[in-house]
Amino acid sequence: MAKRVPLREGAFIETPEGGALVANRCKACGQVFFPKASICTACFNEDVEDLLLSRRGNLYSYTIGRMPSLHFEPPYALGYIDMPEKVRIFAPLEVEHGQYERLKIGMEMEVVVEKLWEEEGKEVIGWKFKPVIRGGKL
Amino acid sequence: MREVAVIGVGQSIFGKMPEKPIFELGQEAVRAALKDAAISPKEIQVAYLSRLYLGESAVNAQNVLADVGIRYIEMVNCENACAGGSTAFRGVWKDIASGLYDVGIAIGIESMTTSPIAHKMIPPGKDDLEGLLGLTMPAFFGLLAHRYIEQYGAKVEDFARVSVKNHHHGCLNPFSQYKKEFTVEEILNSRMISDPITLLQCCPNTDGAAAAILCSMDKVRTYTSAPIKVAASVLLSGNYKYLQDDMLFSDIGSKAAKMAYEMAGIGPEDIDVIELHDAFAPEEVFRYEEFGLCARGEGAQLLNSGATELGGKIPVNPSGGLLSLGHPLSASGVRQVAELTWQLRGQAGARQVPNAKVAFAHMLGGTVPSLDAGACGIEIFTR
Repeated sequence: MAKRVPLREGAFIETPEGGALVANRCKACGQVFFPKASICTACFNEDVEDLLLSRRGNLYSYTIGRMPSLHFEPPYALGYIDMPEKVRIFAPLEVEHGQYERLKIGMEMEVVVEKLWEEEGKEVIGWKFKPVIRGGKL
Repeated sequence: MREVAVIGVGQSIFGKMPEKPIFELGQEAVRAALKDAAISPKEIQVAYLSRLYLGESAVNAQNVLADVGIRYIEMVNCENACAGGSTAFRGVWKDIASGLYDVGIAIGIESMTTSPIAHKMIPPGKDDLEGLLGLTMPAFFGLLAHRYIEQYGAKVEDFARVSVKNHHHGCLNPFSQYKKEFTVEEILNSRMISDPITLLQCCPNTDGAAAAILCSMDKVRTYTSAPIKVAASVLLSGNYKYLQDDMLFSDIGSKAAKMAYEMAGIGPEDIDVIELHDAFAPEEVFRYEEFGLCARGEGAQLLNSGATELGGKIPVNPSGGLLSLGHPLSASGVRQVAELTWQLRGQAGARQVPNAKVAFAHMLGGTVPSLDAGACGIEIFTR
């Protein structure tokens, strides 16, 4: 089996219930950062702590890439997701059977941690978001 | 600080010219600016040149200027992504305003067709997580465009109309890369790049150069009776994205515009003509709002009213803009100075804005994962 490497060390956890993203938060002013900041760039406090983010957020906006990017062949969906912890995350979107017309701004999205691509014989593991399906319908 | 004036400008033709050495294009622009100012090369005391994609070359200012007869003076080479030209202009402006020199030249050159990103999208840096995950420039503006449509009830046709307008203007400009009219349908039916942005809503790969000669206002009478006053010059780096809830109204653009208005002692209602960074068509609509030409969410209505086309109340990108005139990255900021100088002198030919007295230039450059943009340069000119 190919070796698995994280896209960024410490940016997510994998549990039997699914993956989740790890942000950090300034202990002084409460600002949340994803990816993690080395110091709080809002108030310059150096005391920051890890914060496990909710698994669900809402789609702020989306686009469908129609030109190859470094690691993705078109078409591929991309979006910004607003998390309850007041942080906006950019991520690839996983849309079933390429049904991009199902994407709606404001819809609930859930994080998935999985293989994004392979490089140098290794599987690069990172995050995507997929629409939350309720009762078989979006 | 002393008052500073533009006394001479020049630009090369913009287009795809891979066979033409970029230094020659630079010399073409510099010679045109020297001729326009009717000034001898030996009177230039300082030079700033901007170029982003350097290839194997260094000291580009010296390479361009040696064959023009300018040497043995302070020369500075710089980049600030697409705001590089604005940065070179500001460097000269600061040196003259501060009293260090009386006369200087700002130059922007770029050969996109021979750059490592010719026919490609700008690749992400190794540590740029968003870039690695697929965030390209058109994807970023595609995301903002979809959000704008949702938030304000705009339509994809609105963004296409920016491109229709600027391509119409480009047809009137002898320097432009594309002299071709397009309909809204043609713009929307061109190849999809990143929904809802189609190919004809993206600026092309362009080679070109531009130059502007600046002089302290107290020395200007030696050279010209019609100086163009630099009423404001602003260069600002981006703000943290996490401090901005509304991505459609960038901190960098709105703050830089506010600083420029304060410096010039005017407001958006006083502007007669604007050249702004329209690398992707939706951007132009966002900038109307950031610069205060209309209220938030009313950019598309302003466009559809015809106010920003030639013949309207406040024409935007009469040159054709980056969409039609073309976008040699570091040259564009200096090229805007040339265009607006011609507009204020009444020398802009078929694309002239009648009786223009106040002009506004804007460039935006670079991406930093945590910031709304890398750099924003704004200038206001008056006659």
